Formats: sequence, C-alpha cells, structure tokens
Amino acid sequence: MSNLKMGPHDVGGEQSIPIDTNDKNMTHWEKFANALRIVVSSKKIITLDELRYHTEALGDQYFEIGYFERNCLSLHNICIQKGIYDMELFQKIKSKKISEFDVPIIDLPDVASINHIHDGKPHSHNVSDFQEDESGDGPPDYYFDTLAIAQIFIDQGLITNDDIILKIEQFDNVFPNRGKAVVAKAWHNNLFKEALIKDAKKAISDIGIELETFADIICMPQTDTVHHIVVCTLCSCYPRTLLGMPPSWYKSRSYRSRVVHEPREVLAEFGTIVPESKEIKVHDSNADMRYLILPPRPSNTEGLSEVELSKLVARDYLVGVRLPK
Amino acid sequence: MESDYRSKAMDTKFKINDEITVDSRSSTGHCRTPAYIRGKKGIIERICGKYPNPEEIALCKKNPKIVTLYRCRFKQMDVWDNYSGKDSDTIELEIYEHWLNDA
Repeated sequence: MSNLKMGPHDVGGEQSIPIDTNDKNMTHWEKFANALRIVVSSKKIITLDELRYHTEALGDQYFEIGYFERNCLSLHNICIQKGIYDMELFQKIKSKKISEFDVPIIDLPDVASINHIHDGKPHSHNVSDFQEDESGDGPPDYYFDTLAIAQIFIDQGLITNDDIILKIEQFDNVFPNRGKAVVAKAWHNNLFKEALIKDAKKAISDIGIELETFADIICMPQTDTVHHIVVCTLCSCYPRTLLGMPPSWYKSRSYRSRVVHEPREVLAEFGTIVPESKEIKVHDSNADMRYLILPPRPSNTEGLSEVELSKLVARDYLVGVRLPK
Repeated sequence: MESDYRSKAMDTKFKINDEITVDSRSSTGHCRTPAYIRGKKGIIERICGKYPNPEEIALCKKNPKIVTLYRCRFKQMDVWDNYSGKDSDTIELEIYEHWLNDA
C-alpha cells in the first residue's frame, strides 16, 4: 500500500496517537482565512480541487504547519502560479497591512500624575496597577498574508470585504444551527425523517434551507444494529453549510488515520462504547457526497417541541462519534 | 458543469450490488481514491450521479470529463490485514468509474 500513497495527506490506515477529542475552535484569523477560501471557491475564482491539489503539493510542509496555514499557503501559491498577482505586489500590500497594526504604544503614566482624589481623599496608585490593553505577540504572519491576498482580490473587484464578513458570520451563527434544526424536525416528524433518509438535500431544501453546495447530502440513521461514523481521510470534507466548521479533531491527522481501521477504539476515546453485536459502518467522505448522521431520539422526550428538541442535538452526534444518552 | 450532476444516469457501467475491484495503479497529481482502498474488492452500494472529474478540475482543465461516481461498500476484513473488529463491520467510499474494474 505504501508505494501507492499519494502524498502526506493520504493518511487513511496509518497508525497514530490518541485523539484530542476537545474542539479547539478557531481564532479570528482562522475564521478570516476560512471565509476567504470559501468565498473564493464559491465564486469559482479558484476551485476546491485546485486548492486541495496545491495543499497536497506542499510535501513535507503539509504536517509541519497548521490546517489554516496550509490553506493560506496553497491559496497564495495558486495565485502566483495563475498570475493573479506577483510577489512584488503581494509584498507591497502585505507591508501596508502590517503597518495598519502598527499603533503607537503610549507610555504608562508616572506615579506622580496618577495620585488623585477618590471619595474626597488623596489616593495613589503604583505604575504596576496599570496594564496595557494589548499584550502578547500580535497577529501571526499568516494573517497578514491572508489579509494581503483578500485585499488584492477586493482591489481586482473579484470579491468584496462584505463577502468575507458575511461568510464569517454565517459560519458563526447560521450554519451550525441548521443541522440541529433538521435533526430536531426529523425526531419530531416521521414523514420528514423518511424524506430526509430518502433524499436529504431535497428534504432540507423543502423546509427552506438552501445549502448552496454542489455536493449531495446523504443521511444515515443510527439504528440498533448499525453504528455510522464519518471521516474524510484525504482532507476535511464536511457538510459545512449544514453543520458549520468541522471540529479540530475531525481535521486531525490521528482521527483521519485511525477511524477507518480501528473505529471501535476511536469511538471509545469519545466515550462511545459500541457493543460487539453492532456493525460499525465507516463513511470515508472522500469525494462529492457529504454525510449527516441521524442520531436516535433521546428517551423521555415525548411531548417536547421541535425547538426544545433542537437544544438536545449535539454536533458530535451528527458526525457519529457520540450518541445521545 | 453542474447541470446533470444529480441525474442518476442509467447508462452506467456498474449497477447496484455489482462486485467490483478498485484499480491498484498509482497516480500523480490530485486524486480522490485513497491508497488504502486500491486493489480491494467490494460492491456497488449506490450510484451517486455524474460529476466532473476532480483529477482534471485540479489542473484547471476547461470542460473536464463528466464521470459516474459510485458509493462502494467493502468488508473491513477485506480491506485491512489483521482487522481487529467484527466480521460484519464495513467501510463505504465514493469511487469514480475510471477507478473501478469488474471483480
């Protein structure tokens, strides 16, 4: 098998370390970088497969830098290769972006000037009582790269700043709630559940949620006899406009390597013990389908409304790593 | 290029439940067939429709070839040497037609 491995990204079946099952969430620069990538690919300025190809082509760098760093670097490499900009323009815009963060640091007040009257009495402070608002290392260099790439696209009229801001807000506030609403509706309404399992993309569209994706959605219901779990061994395919951003563990090398060949062990790390009598079905989301796992409705929820039920839906259920109690 | 991607075309080389073997050739460039499944035997679980070939889109080819995509089911025991799980465990992947051969 090893001689067929396409590159560092082709990790399915490798041995790896235990999975950190906590989601690390995203910093602002990561949200910005993600939104830029999605805007650029949804406007077909650069295709998803081009982005994947250039990410895979990073070679040894692939696992030396983080996920969003890889995405930023591959986007930049494509832009250079396609002549969207040259290095001279890029460096010029990047320097300008860096200078926008260059705010003057004002000296802290000296002790004499900070003695003041408080409750009618003289009151004094030490300099150490004051703290700078800004501290730490400042934004990472990849953020400046991403800002520069975005600015060049904006200057060329290919995208707008609002496109990026809107996408960040959709990822924060809209997409993560869609899957929960869909599952709550399926728990509440048997006809909808059947329609969802038959043709998820259509059923979701019929209740007014437009996923705006090229990909089809396949819904797999957890049953008493089969446990479903989803992975993308080659990258991080995930129904983003239905579930939001994939959690950090979903993108991790250890999850991607191991789920395919030791699903029971991986599930146990998430606290999910699957009985020996159950079949485990792993879905490698490796091409044009995206997956939604329909968890069983929790017990003792009779009489709850759809809205109340939606509060019981956890994202991890919808990927198949956990089950409702 | 997305006009007919959901039409579950009838003119497909394989039908549901057909036995297949994934081609075991190597590849260069971008490809969506993971190494671990090449050369393995399984069955067609469903026909997903017709999609532009990602191997060509990755290279920015104009008018990429439209290819049939299948979901294929494999027994885990047939995929991994020393699989430690149950006999009934399965794995399913999406494979484009040009990577599939008769079993």
